[in-house]
Amino acid sequence: MFVEPFRYERAESLSDACARLRDSGGTAKLVAGGQSLLPMMNLGLVELDVLIDVSRVTEARGVVEEEGYLRIGALTRHRDLETDPLVARHQPLLAAAARHVGNARVRNRGTVGGSLAHADPSAELPLAMTCLGAEYELIDGALARVVPAHEFHVSSFTTELADHEVLASVRVPTLGPGWGWGFQEVSRRPGDFAIVAAAALVRTAGGEMVESRVALGGASDRPIRLGAVEASVTGARAEDLEARIGPVEGLDPVTDTNATAEHRRRLARVLAVRVLADACRRADEAA
Amino acid sequence: MSADEIRTSKVEELRVVHQPLPRHDQAEKIAGTTRYAGDLAFAGMLHARLVRSQVPSARLLRRDGSRALGVPGVVVVLFGEDVPNNEIRVDVPGQTVEVGALKATMQVLATERVRFHGEPIALVVAESEDALARACGLVEVEYEDLPVVSDPEEALREGAPAVHDTGNLLAEWNIDVGDVDAAFAAADVIVEGEYRTQFVDHAYLEPEAGVGWLDDDGVMNLRVATQVVEHYRDVARILGVADSKVRVIAPYLGGGFGGKEDMTVEPYLAIAVAHTRRPVRMQWTRNESLLARAKRHRNVMRYRTAAAADGTILAHDVEIVSDAGAYAYLSALVLLYSSVHACGPYRVDNARIRSKAAYTNNPPTSAFRGFGGMQVVLGYESQIDELATRLGVDPGELRKRNAIRRGDRLPVGQTIETEVLLAETIDAVRDRAGDPPRPSGPRKVVGRAIASNLQSYGRLVWLNDSAAAWVGYQMDGSLTVRCGVPDVGGGQASSLAQIASEVLGVDMDRISVHFGDSALTPLAGTTTATRQLLMSGNAVYEAAMLLKDQVLGAIAAETAQPVESLLLAPGGVASAGRTVPLAQALQVCRRRNVPIEALGTFFGPKGREVTRDLSGERIFPDFTFGTHLADVEVDLDTGQVRVLRYVAAHDVGRAINPKSVEGQIAGAAVQGIGQALLEEIVVEDGVNLTGGFFQYLIPTAADVPDIEVVVLESGEGLGPFGARGVGEPPIGPPLAAISSAIAAAVGARPTTLPITPERVLDAAARGGA
Amino acid sequence: MSADLTTTLVVNGRTVTRTAGAHLSLLRWLRDVADVLDPKYACGEGVCGACAVLVDGEPVSSCIVLAAQVDGARVTTAAGLTGPGGELSPLQRAFHEHHAAQCGFCTPGMLICATAMLADGMTRTRDEIRHELHGNLCRCTGYQQVVDAIEAAQGAAQGAAQGAAQGIPP
Repeated sequence: MFVEPFRYERAESLSDACARLRDSGGTAKLVAGGQSLLPMMNLGLVELDVLIDVSRVTEARGVVEEEGYLRIGALTRHRDLETDPLVARHQPLLAAAARHVGNARVRNRGTVGGSLAHADPSAELPLAMTCLGAEYELIDGALARVVPAHEFHVSSFTTELADHEVLASVRVPTLGPGWGWGFQEVSRRPGDFAIVAAAALVRTAGGEMVESRVALGGASDRPIRLGAVEASVTGARAEDLEARIGPVEGLDPVTDTNATAEHRRRLARVLAVRVLADACRRADEAA
Repeated sequence: MSADEIRTSKVEELRVVHQPLPRHDQAEKIAGTTRYAGDLAFAGMLHARLVRSQVPSARLLRRDGSRALGVPGVVVVLFGEDVPNNEIRVDVPGQTVEVGALKATMQVLATERVRFHGEPIALVVAESEDALARACGLVEVEYEDLPVVSDPEEALREGAPAVHDTGNLLAEWNIDVGDVDAAFAAADVIVEGEYRTQFVDHAYLEPEAGVGWLDDDGVMNLRVATQVVEHYRDVARILGVADSKVRVIAPYLGGGFGGKEDMTVEPYLAIAVAHTRRPVRMQWTRNESLLARAKRHRNVMRYRTAAAADGTILAHDVEIVSDAGAYAYLSALVLLYSSVHACGPYRVDNARIRSKAAYTNNPPTSAFRGFGGMQVVLGYESQIDELATRLGVDPGELRKRNAIRRGDRLPVGQTIETEVLLAETIDAVRDRAGDPPRPSGPRKVVGRAIASNLQSYGRLVWLNDSAAAWVGYQMDGSLTVRCGVPDVGGGQASSLAQIASEVLGVDMDRISVHFGDSALTPLAGTTTATRQLLMSGNAVYEAAMLLKDQVLGAIAAETAQPVESLLLAPGGVASAGRTVPLAQALQVCRRRNVPIEALGTFFGPKGREVTRDLSGERIFPDFTFGTHLADVEVDLDTGQVRVLRYVAAHDVGRAINPKSVEGQIAGAAVQGIGQALLEEIVVEDGVNLTGGFFQYLIPTAADVPDIEVVVLESGEGLGPFGARGVGEPPIGPPLAAISSAIAAAVGARPTTLPITPERVLDAAARGGA
Repeated sequence: MSADLTTTLVVNGRTVTRTAGAHLSLLRWLRDVADVLDPKYACGEGVCGACAVLVDGEPVSSCIVLAAQVDGARVTTAAGLTGPGGELSPLQRAFHEHHAAQCGFCTPGMLICATAMLADGMTRTRDEIRHELHGNLCRCTGYQQVVDAIEAAQGAAQGAAQGAAQGIPP
């Protein structure tokens, strides 16, 4: 309620937003849906001089299919991911992840780019993108660089984005046939930030896992792929997972008012098993 | 009129009372037109905001508002020295009759010393909220940190940092009855347990808010979200003016639950208005509400229970330590409630209860629905369940065997004088629930448990409670009710309309209830302690009966008929063969100088003041009894708990409005489930870490199942038509029903609230599940 | 520092143009500038739903959207659900009949989100209603009578829709 007044600027385009960011000399922030930034401002956790609004920019909203991947505009909303037919056909994991975000009002306003750039370590979309091996297209007026998800998410609320850069779109590889997906999270209540969330993609042949990707959110300062787990489950069937997967190594969970680090470690393994099992089942059904 | 005249009634004769009518305040709330405390604005209105302590314990070396004053739009920055009497009495809100027990105080604005994180230090008044947003951070406060004590048991140890010069022991109550040691020596089985409850926030949706202004007669008007309009006296004392110069108006509240029983915005609005002579609005943020307004007490409760092999409870030995936080508020009385309720709704001939409340540098604790009578449900019902397990007896049968009946005495000495349907509530929840559920998958386990309780309704009898109400006809036959009751959202005002309608035969939609105004409505006391139906309900009943007698008497005289032959019916006064229309009957009254209005005053039951060694034939007016049943499913891998089914049964005496009763029970049950599983104000070394609703987790619609309510009606309450109070009683049983159901599922009992997934897994590990 | 901004919104059918601080949330703009008081402040975090309004038909938390961001939009609050003569909508009538409001502070937002929920014409189970409603906190009712009301309203809406399809007047 008590928010210190700031200057509000409306960007005409994403490149216009880059120019305005550059002009502000580091005192400005972008707002799209505002579903993370504005609560933090209301709570007095963020103060700023200039707010550059990109929420009305239409160029970067929507999902298109291109050779080998889906390109998702940064201003695509969570709700769009939930309902988009291309996402449903090629990458239902993303729709499932989006469905876990906040509440219906958050999903109506909140954007893909906003969630990724905010980089909450327990957020659903950074996790899903990490699992999917997505690539983020950053612009500083023109296309500047393409950064893979696992490099973009540096640590809690910290990304590769430079001050004057804007996340413009995300390229999500479309996987071939035979893949199944799993997404689960444990939170205190529905809609709360995940204590731990997990995503998996699995390709099976004859009920055995041929290829897999599994990643966790909320278990470290950023979403992480579990390479060792992936290696250990090759050739496994869904019912073998419980025995195959040991304690998950390489995590760095925090203790907060939601859960202890120890509980997060425990959930990490439980959820890794569960999402891989879900993904296996779906892959078998698809086959 | 007094409570000794218990008015029971025949259900079949009731026309309006006992009907599930829509509440008369609903249409406006649903149309979005109800104006809450924060919704009123004046032209030229100022805004006020508090600067609060950022540390839990410190000496204040310097307070400086000059930089804040430099912000454009800031009108004044006030400190304790600017307050005429910089002292809030925080003993018994709304108390009319002097009571000697407590004289606890705190400063309105701290001047030398702060004792909790969030304590008010300065008040900034400005032309806009934007100016406040800039200015409050510029008020400079220099602290010299002092030692912090944040655990109540540590606070009571020798050498602990003193929160107050008077020492850290705020209150102490003892109950001794029978020979406890002999009973333990003779016991076949002894059960011991330690139970811990947490700080809980009321978390009503409406944060504290209000508007103040001086009217044309120089009266300070405060229209605020409060459960107690009688705080006008406290404000007058702070301002140093006569009581008659302050008026408090309580509009419809956005929830209270005890959190708006103590003053919140009132003194600050009054000071700001007094200094600026302009209207002022103050609205606390959710963060402030969570940070600094008094919480529910966290308790440590150690129980030893002795029983015979047949399940008869022989003795309870109970120790309670309660965290009072930094200032007294109502802690002593809350602890008294804990002590009196500590043995539950069971016959216990031998009891030793030792309870203490300690000052700490935590947020203050005070009134909250259930008021100390609810934390102990976790203690005594866990003990009963453990006893049942140890003896291999059905937990319901064990409860029934020991259940209090009419004529039995509580350990404190009070005899239960009304019918008790405790056993019936146990049967009712079990009949409703039917077969227990099955687990939904592997690594899932289910459990079922019941928990019973008693909870007083009405204030402590030595507070000499009373309530008044005025009922008057308009000449067109419509009806006006005036009663000082604040309506916190539980249908308080609507119930009064229903009672008046029943007695006087006026349709509900022709009745207006004016409420919650300390100047214009007869004072009815606080909307707390589950007292308003008992007190204001009876006062309206009394006034309506007086008015009815007046009207019938006038018509009897006019028509030369015996008054007994007349009936006040919808439409008019009926006698054999003919009806005098009401408007005509009222004209008759006026012609014959018979008033068409009446003032009713109801006096609650009286009793002697209590001392540290509690004992009395009557402590509370009466009690409400009930039983809840919970089915839960536990995920053994994650510790997540799902409440599958929840049934709640209470003897409500008589349901004035069955829908309102069901709403009260369902709402309280869900609050209790929230305390059992989710909610906690987390305080670390006195620092409150709970900053918003993203951290303070109240149950959502998806966290709870349907609350299946079974209403039993003994017709034996002390309220009008035999109603018992039902606002608080249903909040206690969920603590024990949920924890015992989890214990049944995983094989060991979680004893610390909230029962987080990690605590569930700890219990499962102990239980071998 | 804060430049004022002129914003036009169509609030409950009425075109409202106001010049105010560009930093104002839609909630503050509605309440403090446009005198539309039924959306409530309760958390400022977007988690409780008391401030929910429909923006071009979609539910949003008005406390975490700037008025400037939705300039030109149609905004519907709970007060805008009533008919021109103040008559309650079918959903509001169901809330009335089922005692779905106690203190009533969450009710405007609850009505808005329930209206959005019912807009798709689907018939939901009680559990599905509960899940959809998880973003609207209520501290009084335990949600029981709120779910009762929404369940009844969707039944009534379905009945009315079927009736209309068969040419039966409501």
